[in-house]
Amino acid sequence: MLIEIKNLQKNYLMGKIEVTALTEIDLQIRKNEYVAIMGPSGSGKSTLMNILGCLDTPTLGQYLFNNVDVSSLTDDELSAMRNREIGFIFQTFNLLPKMSSLHNVELPLMYGGVDKHERKDRAERALQRVGLAERMHHKPSELSGGQRQRVAVARALVTNPGILLADEPTGALDSKTGDEIMALFDELHNEGNTIIVITHEKEIAEYAHRTIFLKDGMIFSDAPNS
Amino acid sequence: MQFEENIRVALRGLIEHKFRSFLTMLGIIFGVASVIAMLSIGEGAKRQAIAKYQELGVTNIIVRDKNLSDAELEEVRAKFSQGLSLSDAEAIKEIVPGVEEVAPQSEKSTEVKFADKSSKSTLIGITPAFIKILNYETAKGDFIDEQHYDNGMKVCVLGAEIARTLFQNREPVGEMVKIDDQWLEVVGVMKSKALFTETVGELASRDLNNDVYIPLSTFHKRFEPENELASELKQLTVKIESSDKLMVAASLLEEIIKRHHYNNKDYSIVIPYELLKQEEKERRIYNILLGAIAAISLVVGGIGIMNIMLATVMERTREIGIRRAIGARKADIMSQFVTEAVAISITGGIIGVILGVMLSLGITLFTDVTTFIRLYSVFIAFGFSVIVGISFGYLPAKSAANLKPIESIRYE
Ligand SMILES: Nc1ncnc2c1ncn2[C@@H]1O[C@H](COP(=O)(O)OP(=O)(O)OP(=O)(O)O)[C@@H](O)[C@H]1O
Ligand SMILES: [Mg+2]
Repeated sequence: MLIEIKNLQKNYLMGKIEVTALTEIDLQIRKNEYVAIMGPSGSGKSTLMNILGCLDTPTLGQYLFNNVDVSSLTDDELSAMRNREIGFIFQTFNLLPKMSSLHNVELPLMYGGVDKHERKDRAERALQRVGLAERMHHKPSELSGGQRQRVAVARALVTNPGILLADEPTGALDSKTGDEIMALFDELHNEGNTIIVITHEKEIAEYAHRTIFLKDGMIFSDAPNS
Repeated sequence: MQFEENIRVALRGLIEHKFRSFLTMLGIIFGVASVIAMLSIGEGAKRQAIAKYQELGVTNIIVRDKNLSDAELEEVRAKFSQGLSLSDAEAIKEIVPGVEEVAPQSEKSTEVKFADKSSKSTLIGITPAFIKILNYETAKGDFIDEQHYDNGMKVCVLGAEIARTLFQNREPVGEMVKIDDQWLEVVGVMKSKALFTETVGELASRDLNNDVYIPLSTFHKRFEPENELASELKQLTVKIESSDKLMVAASLLEEIIKRHHYNNKDYSIVIPYELLKQEEKERRIYNILLGAIAAISLVVGGIGIMNIMLATVMERTREIGIRRAIGARKADIMSQFVTEAVAISITGGIIGVILGVMLSLGITLFTDVTTFIRLYSVFIAFGFSVIVGISFGYLPAKSAANLKPIESIRYE
């Protein structure tokens, strides 16, 4: 099992009040699954995704990644995991604004200790892959929203992580650019990658093979797409 | 990630954020520069004071005949004092312990003429001991020697400035100048001396470079005193062997003079060493003030750096979050930020040192304040700023690196 979550809970402290964002979450995701996570705003989708991507930690419960309990890992091991095994795509891209696309895509490789030449090579190929070979030396501010998201995708897949986590990757895009991104995801899935996508849109969710529906911090339904 | 790589990341970061780097550096630059300039002003004042008193001789005691009005002069003469005289000099030499040499001198304001030029001057009658006591040197020719003195020869030595005024580019040595109704042969020209801009005790402030020296014997034989009742001598310069005997010698000397002058206060005693100490004490407040200004500059520089850090903390925290999300370890983040801070601080520090040095040179050049840069002030300024710069770079980065990546990314 690639991902196994047992009775997970996440509370946030808002001043003195504890807000429960997720509760009683049990979830299993196999390798090469294509999962969509849906649910109303505030239902805990991003919270769950951040925990899956090891950007955040649960309050209670267990998260096993590749059968390893994530809570037992050191901070450096978690960094390495984020670096090599998980590709995270944010709704708001989160690129470094002063760097060219190429540098942005190179960054994970740099933190992974890949040497300069190979790094550049692989980053260029990743950008080619998302169709941005001509925009390599542009900064994010010189790119359209769709292009920025594609840089973010290139950055997520450049280390060949095997799993892509995308929090509303098409949320800021028009439907045509959204479809282009999703076509790319399809391709990546066919290559054996595991893909988890948060979305509000039914059409986007239909690309996936399984849909998890969250409501009030709980799993409301979890079923294969027909 | 390798060390070299970290440095590259940091430097690239600085270049990518030129303006931010520049602003941060500015605080350090001004902090360092102003500390160096401030401390150099204090040090310059100290050195100037020391030089001034060294000119007077720090182991010397100077006895000056007081400038008295005619009425006062009549009064002290009536009370048996004959003013400063050679017999005072003899008594001091005989009785006071530790006296190395006594140089008597007489003075007279007069005019010196050469060809069609003339210049106001102070004519000073001295013995050959004079040049031994004060570290004066001649630029050309020789000073008054024993032979001149013993024979009361009509020779003179010109101060640097008066020689220039009278002779311009001509060679003065060997020429005859006219003082009052006397013709004297120029045998030497003094080296230029620092100007006395302040009065030190009874020592009138005047340009020593306008003085003309002649043998004391000649002075007494050939020149009319300024006043019928004038004292035989204007000044006695007493050189004591070492400064630890100075105070004892001074009090004994004063006792002798007092008795010789029948308790008339028609003289004054100046001890350059004492004045130096006293001035040092007075300057302490000035130094504290300068130090305070310097400290304030450093703090202001520090606040400047802190401001930039705080203003950019959101952007930087997000940056840290993003880097962490894609795999940077805490150590990677820390080394990036510390390297950035070190690079900024050291570059700013170096520019600050250069600016500070130029500033203090400029102050010396364009104002009448003398400055002197001590190496330790450069180290203090540089060291402090670098520490401030690095701390302010390190601390925000440390707290951001300790957040969970998602908290850093969401930071507001
Ligand atoms: N950092 C936080 N501090 C406090 N509460 C939070 C924090 N992050 C999320 N929450 C709360 O947790 C709940 C779930 O938030 P989450 O962002 O996971 O929702 P979401 O399903 O992604 O919504 P959306 O579709 O609008 O993105 C919300 O009620 C939110 O207010
Ligand atoms: Mg969300």
